Amino acid sequence: MLRIILLLLLFLPAKSFIQIKDAWMRPAARGMNSAVYFEIINDGSSADTLYAVKSDLAKLTEMHETYQRGNMTGMRKVNNVVVKPKSSFKFQPGSHHIMLITMQKEMKQGDKATILLRFKRSGDIKVNVEVKM
Amino acid sequence: MRYVFFILFICVMIISGCKNKLPIEDDISSAHFMLVNQDSAVVEFPDYLRGKIAVMGFIFTNCPDICPLTTNNMQRIKAELEKENIKDVLFTSLSFDPARDKPFVLKDYARIRNIDLKNWQFLTGQMSVVDSIKKKMHFFAVAADTSYSEDGKKYYFFVHTDRISLIDRQGRVRKNYKGSTINIGEIVNDIKQIM
Repeated sequence: MLRIILLLLLFLPAKSFIQIKDAWMRPAARGMNSAVYFEIINDGSSADTLYAVKSDLAKLTEMHETYQRGNMTGMRKVNNVVVKPKSSFKFQPGSHHIMLITMQKEMKQGDKATILLRFKRSGDIKVNVEVKM
Repeated sequence: MRYVFFILFICVMIISGCKNKLPIEDDISSAHFMLVNQDSAVVEFPDYLRGKIAVMGFIFTNCPDICPLTTNNMQRIKAELEKENIKDVLFTSLSFDPARDKPFVLKDYARIRNIDLKNWQFLTGQMSVVDSIKKKMHFFAVAADTSYSEDGKKYYFFVHTDRISLIDRQGRVRKNYKGSTINIGEIVNDIKQIM
């Protein structure tokens, strides 16, 4: 009996200590690119890793970071973001962002959408995003 | 009497100091470039700015992070100038990605951001012309980081100077600012200085 209970516990999803706050995105016409920003709060005692983002808003969805090279600015893809225990991580303008490449529909100020964030420990988390300027 | 001379000397120093605050960074007044705006109308740059003060940003519309910050900051500058009833300032956004930024793309970029195009033009043109403007204004942009979709389509982005320029009525660049993090109060004060 104990074995069965332990086995069931093993398959239960781990309790998520991840919260997503203040999610918003930039407006974009169909065919253009946009960026999504939010804050990840990890209240747990273990680190968690955001390793993928899914969205049907765009043809391609990636995690990117903006970087400085001298007085030049660029951006590059990042594969994952680790959020340390009892800390937070901000996706914010001029820094990390979710890149929506080739929007499949127009998103204007006030429009709302949902994206899916995939964490190694906490699993999939749906996030509501509002378009802001 | 010596006291009066001293006060006069201080005043002269302050006035000349203020004037020197905005030296000429680049004189583009003798240049002549043919571009097109968001409505596909031909625009002679920088000729069309002559007699007006201009705030000029450099963008490419596929840029999702830095260039929207620059554009958004230009909207904030425009709002601040309107609030202070300062007129005679033109806004210009030049695309340094003319291969993708055709006039209709620029028009959409402005529309989705609710930009009033009354005193704001979005410019693009032939690659060679845009390259010449970049060179003249010491602006750098290099196609670099690339993403690929599942079907193998390539999406390229630029490493570029992050810039808003302030141009005076004579077509001279008086100051360059970091476009994405510009201090709105600073540029508004600089505009007042060269009015």
